[in-house]
Amino acid sequence: MSAMLLPKDKWPEFTGRLAGKNLFAPALQGGIKKFAPVAAGDTVTLDEGNTTVPPKALLFPQTETLFRFAEGEEGMELPAIDEAAVLLGVRPCDARAMAIVDKLFRWDYEDPYYLKRRELATIIGLACSEPCLNCFCTSVGGGPASTEGLDILMVDLGESYLLEGLTDKGQALLDEFKDLLQEAGADALQRKEQLAQEAAAKIKRSVDTAGIPEALPGLWEDPLWQRVSAACLGCGICTYLCPTCHCFDIQDEVEGAAGRRCRMWDSCMYAEYTKHTSGHNPRPTRRERTRNRINHKYSYYVDKFGVIACVGCGRCSNLCPVNIDLIDILRQVKAAP
Amino acid sequence: MDLNKLRETAAGIVSREDVKYLIGWRRGTFGYRVSPYFIEDAAGVEELIFSPLCISNLATYLTLVERLPVPRGQQPDERKVALLVKGCDSRAVNQLLVEKGINRDRVIVVGLPCPGMVDWKLLAEKYPETEAPVEMRWQGDDFLLVHNGQEIVVPRAEALAEKCRLCRHPNPVISDATVGEPVQPWEPAEDSGVGEIEAKSAPERWAYWEEQFSKCLRCYSCRNVCPLCYCEDCILDRLNPTWVNRAFNFSENTAFHLARAFHLAGRCIECGECERVCPAGIPLGRLNRKLAKTVREEYGFEPGLDAEGEPFQASYRPEDPEEFIL
Repeated sequence: MSAMLLPKDKWPEFTGRLAGKNLFAPALQGGIKKFAPVAAGDTVTLDEGNTTVPPKALLFPQTETLFRFAEGEEGMELPAIDEAAVLLGVRPCDARAMAIVDKLFRWDYEDPYYLKRRELATIIGLACSEPCLNCFCTSVGGGPASTEGLDILMVDLGESYLLEGLTDKGQALLDEFKDLLQEAGADALQRKEQLAQEAAAKIKRSVDTAGIPEALPGLWEDPLWQRVSAACLGCGICTYLCPTCHCFDIQDEVEGAAGRRCRMWDSCMYAEYTKHTSGHNPRPTRRERTRNRINHKYSYYVDKFGVIACVGCGRCSNLCPVNIDLIDILRQVKAAP
Repeated sequence: MDLNKLRETAAGIVSREDVKYLIGWRRGTFGYRVSPYFIEDAAGVEELIFSPLCISNLATYLTLVERLPVPRGQQPDERKVALLVKGCDSRAVNQLLVEKGINRDRVIVVGLPCPGMVDWKLLAEKYPETEAPVEMRWQGDDFLLVHNGQEIVVPRAEALAEKCRLCRHPNPVISDATVGEPVQPWEPAEDSGVGEIEAKSAPERWAYWEEQFSKCLRCYSCRNVCPLCYCEDCILDRLNPTWVNRAFNFSENTAFHLARAFHLAGRCIECGECERVCPAGIPLGRLNRKLAKTVREEYGFEPGLDAEGEPFQASYRPEDPEEFIL
């Protein structure tokens, strides 16, 4: 694995050539920031902050055709997932989220759709220098220059970008750009460490998550759940825009004699989530649903996969229209008897 | 706004045995955020606030609260719910009463004359959100912002929310108790948002909404926050038949938004919550205000001004106009 420097005057050529590889990068589209395809000749500007829609949407699309069907003997058709992609400018938190979600999709049933997309994607991360107000990655095991889930980590050193190959896939990509890159010296790596520390020091909000997974089962009936969920609208913002939320529903769309089976994002905050055919719902109110959201991330996932399913990106707290603030909930969990 | 008077009134209400809780606002956990706040006892009123950041319409909680089956042998909780309302919010209460969505005997309405609310997103670039919650107050015609320990006068025009620039009813139209003196209604601004759409040709409008609806994430925050979107069994959630597929694409997204807009025609009280909560920045207010405008101008009808009467869509007069129908 190598650490290379990309002088900034080579950036347009670098992204221009990447554009030929099915490139996605953060872009503002009609006022909402998300990963969008980059065409040859497009300018890629990586600014501070993060996308509203996390890059999970590229690996785990909001709606995905599982297969198409039609009446007749050979009426089944599987979608082809065979196009490689490069994701540029993924924040370390969102890349960690991919590594965390991988565990679920690789669990007892290996999900071919997600895993194929994951395998075909090369993730180029961008270390953070200016954390947002609700960033708390360092409270949940991440950091502004964390490498988990990434193939290449990119750090803005001012005059140039440092590009560190982290996986074979990432290294192979770097090797293709040898003509634009120069070997990074020890000073560049030292500078990276320093910048990462400076960025971590700028993180404003934090919560001590130690003990939370152990405490949650004992707080099942605690009044805190009523308190923190009373204002909840039961909408899908916090889950849809969470980089680790991965619940989906499966529906058939049929027109005449043909149709498709597709899966789409689901949200545990919706009233019909886990509603049984009988009409009974084991999570009948927003209290149980909020409790489930927190428990899933901070207890069940830890039990099953040994890691908290939250990367501290702060989107849920940022985007909730009624100020249901994850950091505040976690602090209340810590403070509960 | 005399906060002490408000807290005193609230304490009196929540101390009553026949009151379950009072829904108000409290300071949020960071930045400009304010949170809906459910107060069950008199001690809770200490955190109650009413400031230019209390833009959210709490009337939605009257119908959002789940009504679970009462276990055998238990009595249903028949206690009243008290609610703080601004002018726009109070119209939602009236509309719910007209539609028999809520029972008048079960609601205590505390009216707060509203000098206008702030859209904090208009301020965030100049005065970024801080870890500590910021405070805002009304000062004369303007707003006073306490930001990083500094007191800053923000001119009204710089921060007034769009719905408030267009407001025709700043004083509550229904209340059991009022705190504060009625405010002098201001001249509503020209609705430039609706004007922009009206100036477009039909293909341009289609292109405009195609771009907007394509952004929709189908998180349903607009539906859930809407005080008048309270069907117990929403067609969007129906699976058999599936009226609207959950698939995320322009066609299904449009079906969703048009269904909602038409269901709100003559019912929307223009509180602007749908647009405020949308994480994708879809200008839903323009859609709903256009319908409200048509209803107002063609039928002389404005929903939510009266607790009695017929719902607009349930009334018919032979002389009803139809010129606007394409």
